[in-house]
Amino acid sequence: MFSGTPSSRSSLLLALLFSPMLLADDLFLDSEALPRILTATRLKQSPAEIPGSMTVLDSELINASGARDISELLRLVPGMMVGNISGNQSVVNYHGTNASEARRMQVLIDGRSVYRAGLATVDWSDIPVAMEDIERIEVFRGPNTVSYGANALMAVVNIITRNPADSHGTRLKITRGQRGINDFYASQGTGWSGGDLRLSLSGQEDDGFDSDRTGADYRDSRRLNRFSLAVSQMLSDNQSVDWQLNAKDGTNQRPYTYRPVFSGITAAGNNSDVVAKDYAGSVRWNLDINPDHSLYVQGSAQHWDRQQTWRACDAEVSFSPQLTQLWQLNPNYTEQLARNITRFIGPGAAPGTPTEMALANQVLDQWRNGASRTLCGDIDQSARESRYDLELQDTLSLSDSLRLVSGLNYRYDRADSETYFNGTLDDTTWRAFGQLEWRAGEHWLLQGGAMFENTQLIGSSLTPRFAVNYLINPRHSLRAVYSEAIRSPDMFENNVNWSYQVTNLRPSAYGQTSARYFVKTRGPGDLDQEHMRSRELGYNGFFPEWGLALDVKLFYDEITGMISEPLRNNQFIASNANDSRFRGTETQLDWRLSAIDRLRLTYAFVDAEASNPLDQQFTARNSGSAGWLRDWGQGWNSALFYYGDNALNGYRFERVDTRIAKNIPLGKAQLQLAAVLQQRLDHEPTTFVDNNYDERRVMYFSAELEF
Amino acid sequence: MRYALSRKMPTARQWLAGLCLFVTAWLYGVAVQAADILLTGAEESPGVQSFVQALSELRPTDRVHFQPLASLPAPGKLPSSLRLILLDLPSLDWRMQDSQGPATLVLRISRLQARQRFGTTQPSHLSLLWSDPPLSRQLQLIRRILPQAQRVGVLFDQHSEFLLKELQSAANPLNLHIVPQRWDNTHDNRPLQTVLKNSDVLLGLDDPDLYNPRTAKNLLLSSYARQLALVGPNVSFVRAGSLASTYSDQSDWLTVLDELLDHPPTAWPRSLYPGRFKVSSNAQVARSLGIEPMNEASVAAELAEGERHP
Repeated sequence: MFSGTPSSRSSLLLALLFSPMLLADDLFLDSEALPRILTATRLKQSPAEIPGSMTVLDSELINASGARDISELLRLVPGMMVGNISGNQSVVNYHGTNASEARRMQVLIDGRSVYRAGLATVDWSDIPVAMEDIERIEVFRGPNTVSYGANALMAVVNIITRNPADSHGTRLKITRGQRGINDFYASQGTGWSGGDLRLSLSGQEDDGFDSDRTGADYRDSRRLNRFSLAVSQMLSDNQSVDWQLNAKDGTNQRPYTYRPVFSGITAAGNNSDVVAKDYAGSVRWNLDINPDHSLYVQGSAQHWDRQQTWRACDAEVSFSPQLTQLWQLNPNYTEQLARNITRFIGPGAAPGTPTEMALANQVLDQWRNGASRTLCGDIDQSARESRYDLELQDTLSLSDSLRLVSGLNYRYDRADSETYFNGTLDDTTWRAFGQLEWRAGEHWLLQGGAMFENTQLIGSSLTPRFAVNYLINPRHSLRAVYSEAIRSPDMFENNVNWSYQVTNLRPSAYGQTSARYFVKTRGPGDLDQEHMRSRELGYNGFFPEWGLALDVKLFYDEITGMISEPLRNNQFIASNANDSRFRGTETQLDWRLSAIDRLRLTYAFVDAEASNPLDQQFTARNSGSAGWLRDWGQGWNSALFYYGDNALNGYRFERVDTRIAKNIPLGKAQLQLAAVLQQRLDHEPTTFVDNNYDERRVMYFSAELEF
Repeated sequence: MRYALSRKMPTARQWLAGLCLFVTAWLYGVAVQAADILLTGAEESPGVQSFVQALSELRPTDRVHFQPLASLPAPGKLPSSLRLILLDLPSLDWRMQDSQGPATLVLRISRLQARQRFGTTQPSHLSLLWSDPPLSRQLQLIRRILPQAQRVGVLFDQHSEFLLKELQSAANPLNLHIVPQRWDNTHDNRPLQTVLKNSDVLLGLDDPDLYNPRTAKNLLLSSYARQLALVGPNVSFVRAGSLASTYSDQSDWLTVLDELLDHPPTAWPRSLYPGRFKVSSNAQVARSLGIEPMNEASVAAELAEGERHP
């Protein structure tokens, strides 16, 4: 029986080759036809084989964190900078760059990219996915346009929702707490022969931050409701279809931030709240051609609707045709005139070209003749963006040691905004990608690929990626990665055509109730892609005897041709003139000390240098997290987390979160009661000066019934 | 002392005793050699044919032959000197009509099937040779290939529940903790999710209600999604995506049968797990789970050695 012990590899190979025959002939081996299910195309790489750095936030961690927002969860990812523009606007960027915009990360929900079509930002709070529906989050730390497509410049956040088949039964959850926290979640899952479904409804409410820099109440609360339906259906032994529908509707408060350009204006609006609606639908068809060859086709449609209409007040002269004309000739000159108009009343227009001076004097005349009076009108800064995406991905296992993933992607983006684009703007992107994975022997794994992308507005580009993993054994590896990535400027940066048509003017401006505000900004229209070159050395290891998983990396990333001008409507002139570089090290450690204890640590040291100081703001030189999860038995669980950034946009951030939960069986049902306490350890605002809480501590409680 | 004794000349009485022993042994040997071995089953498939052929080659002095079940009289009408080997469940049902009849070895029957047919009492006139891998062997395999695993998840239903006690007692000396989970409705994934959440490895029982082509995909994809290995229940599952399993194939069974047939039917055990077995593993699954590729033959040898010298 044991005679002849060929090497395990060849015997395995033989077994794989001949096992169907053996099964058919051998009376004692189960003759029941069972297809190969975990095939070469379905199996993923082990952590040691991944051609880069990956952080996986599993459901245990997500649950234990007590987080109410996806962005908050990302604090558990080393090198991830998480902050807030306001209570309902999170800002997340890997390694940093600008604190008020995060445009360089790819964010996917079940393979559907959710950064906005026109503005390329991610509205974290508006993503139509409830935390309770998330199974895990995989964060690829580093550029990877080859695998994840455009915008995957600095990192990729891949949110994977719970399989409908794993969501059977009913879940009801409510959360109540301080700071107006009031959330709910309800889901129903059911299955039938070959199919499963999950329907969930959820809602979220809170007051955001308490006070701005002046101590006044900060208008940044949010209220939202979500709907989500996910269905998976087997069509045959080798085909299945998954489809989803998601919708989100809600209100995000925004403070009134308009500052009158002209002096002497005291009237003001009281808010610039946004009604934010997100809709998404996707269908994915999976086909296993054979155990070594599979493909999927995924189509998705998304729509972002941001309705933002607010009342603003300024002097009548803001609508002067002459001032508008002057702005188009010389924005600097015009801004000087507008901001200091009272100083020019006596002496007349400042020196300039004769045309400029003539126009300026006409404006001054208007001012003297009563155009200094206050006018209020409605500003509509709404935007509607849509995306249609079709992707084909093919996975082919050419041999036991060679695997090819390739595909094609077509995307159509459209943005519609009177204010930003003076109408509608659209863009079409084609993408082809391929990645080859080659096991060159027992210890070497080589992976390389490239992506070709062509966008109608920007042009085409080719980005390569190479990684070498040296597997000391299947659980420990060293890796070296070189990758290039690009980010095409978004429609806003390149093609903005920003002006305000103000309506319902009272009193009327120059006899009109609707008039165009004098400031108009146009994008350059000829921007190039940003380029990223990233180099990484890393180690990944798992010590099963201790239950310890460790990943360490050193990185050096450079972005050139960087578009770093802030998105503001006074003289926003985007260019590719900037660059920045990030270097440092990151570590993550996940240690299951025993069956009941889990310890998790992350740390990142990031040294950022940027030609534009704004791009250095959002980098904490030292940041990290520490977590301890324990199962105390008798249904009691606890989790303790520490999060720290030494300075994010100049402000320190340190917080300790505690969650204590008790599971109570109620017959066939299960009740979970949980309390979360978050305690800030520092006394600083969060990311921006207006983000202040009255108390450094917040508590909220949840009750969840599952049956 | 012994040496001195053996040097003594044997007495006539001793000679006689020796002769009797020799004759008895010779007669027995002749009887065994000349055994008439009848295999039966509902149909004579190519698999059956090749097995009968292999067994007859292994026992050239015996008359090994197959007769389809339909052509056989009631078991009690068969000569009692016959050695009867049953190859399937219909033939077992036929044999159970009659408590009389030739000595019978029952092949290709699992613990679960026997339980469903006989309840807790085993018929005394049959030797049941179990087709499912012994639980203790599967646990030893887990210990060997996943040394860090402590919590062994086990799905069961009303038919397989009786195995839990045995499983627990086999797990105790190995410091393994069995996490049992009832799964009555395989359309409801919650019990599966629960057991996966609370286990380090899933051990598959040979219970076709739970492990069958309809459930395989869900079982394997769900456990893999949690990066958990399934061990067992059989070699088909290993090919589909289970990490590993012990199993006995035709050549193992031939060796086991050959040994049994060398003994008089009175010495046959009431039930038996084959002592000869192999290990099958799925290298791609192992690699993806970050587990060292295993040498199946040496793992099997280690397990066999462990069984011989516990």
